[in-house]
Amino acid sequence: MRETVLKDILRAVLATLAAFVFYSLIGGVRPSVLVVLNAFSLIVVTFSIGKGEIFGAVLGAVCGLVQDSFSMGVFGVAGLTKTLLGFWTGYISKRMDVAPLLRNAVFLLIMSTLELLLWVILTAFVLKDKVDFRHGLLVLQPIVTSLLGSLLLSVARRVQARRA
Amino acid sequence: MPHREKRTSFRILIGLVVFHLLLISIQIPLGSEKKLFERAVFFVFSPVQKAAVSAFRGLASAWDNYFDLRRVRRENLKLKQDLFFLSQEKRFLEDRLQMFKSETEVRDSLERFRTSLIPARVVGSDTGNLYRSLILDKGSLAGVRPDMAVCDRYGNLVGRTIAPVSLNEAMVQLITDTESSVSVVSATSKAVGIFTGHQGSRCLLKYIVATTQAGKEGEDLFTTGFDKIYPAGIRVGRILTIRPTATVFKEIVVQPYFNYGTLDAVAILPRVSGGGE
Repeated sequence: MRETVLKDILRAVLATLAAFVFYSLIGGVRPSVLVVLNAFSLIVVTFSIGKGEIFGAVLGAVCGLVQDSFSMGVFGVAGLTKTLLGFWTGYISKRMDVAPLLRNAVFLLIMSTLELLLWVILTAFVLKDKVDFRHGLLVLQPIVTSLLGSLLLSVARRVQARRA
Repeated sequence: MPHREKRTSFRILIGLVVFHLLLISIQIPLGSEKKLFERAVFFVFSPVQKAAVSAFRGLASAWDNYFDLRRVRRENLKLKQDLFFLSQEKRFLEDRLQMFKSETEVRDSLERFRTSLIPARVVGSDTGNLYRSLILDKGSLAGVRPDMAVCDRYGNLVGRTIAPVSLNEAMVQLITDTESSVSVVSATSKAVGIFTGHQGSRCLLKYIVATTQAGKEGEDLFTTGFDKIYPAGIRVGRILTIRPTATVFKEIVVQPYFNYGTLDAVAILPRVSGGGE
């Protein structure tokens, strides 16, 4: 039991690092991609569905704070939104069957849209400034997160099934 | 799920939410120093960022060097570097010549300027808003301190370094950030105002009184050096539109000269001691 938890934590740490490395590489080469694809959100939703709400909330807090520390925005806004994203994704997925690919994609789309909406509201409220939607590119973020997230989960399930 | 486990989950969620709300609330009003916790996270993760970008660039350059025209590339890099320094020097010389200083004085200051210039590369950008900040691959070990002006390879103003500055990385507040302020003067009508971020890549020239003739469309803006952060005479941007407003000031929209999309190599300038340096 303890070994499994440690393995899960290690996987989450590695996934967070992978998201961070992705953010660093893309940020240096093509920053506009970061607007469309938030790797931290992707990691949070995929782990929350597999590991539950507590794991999702803690991972969301860590990923959000890392994202905040490399941004000039208010420290904690992404932390808060990703905590809620991780918790509710894990909580709902335990009570509803979101395993089928299409259902999974729709579920992740709703969750990512809510996260983005909360982030926009909080940023606008705290900074008292308009949020830069980058000519609408920001709206694509939930769609990309849901598509990639559902694909990742589907691949993970297939790998697990083969192993079993 | 047992009732007890459910209650624990919600307790953890409430704890995390309260923690974040406290974190956000202690930062309002904004503009204060970065919090220790935020600095700590930056210091822990910035070496990872630098290592990742360096490894990626290392691999990419190895590929180029071995499979591409090696000598041409080397020569090209050298020429690029020369061009980088020459652009900075040209801007500096123009500035000095404008002040009609003697030749020896110009040579002395040029030598000082060349040795104190810190070349750096962009390794990260702001996920929240691209036009607010970016991360450079030079830190306190290379002599970078907060409040040092940063220019692009053509000598156009990009922003200034801000805390946190780690050993090998530094954060830059871009001039397109709405919280940034730069004291500027227009080239011909000599209108002095405050240059600040507006929306996306566009900026505003503030505090130009509507009754004056100062400020014309198409006019270039340069730093004044009055803010004691940016040296005088750096190219900042060009006035796009001027409109009257309900207030006593005009609304002047400015296009900054630096291009975010092509930002790669930048120069960190030494700190200035006073206006007009």
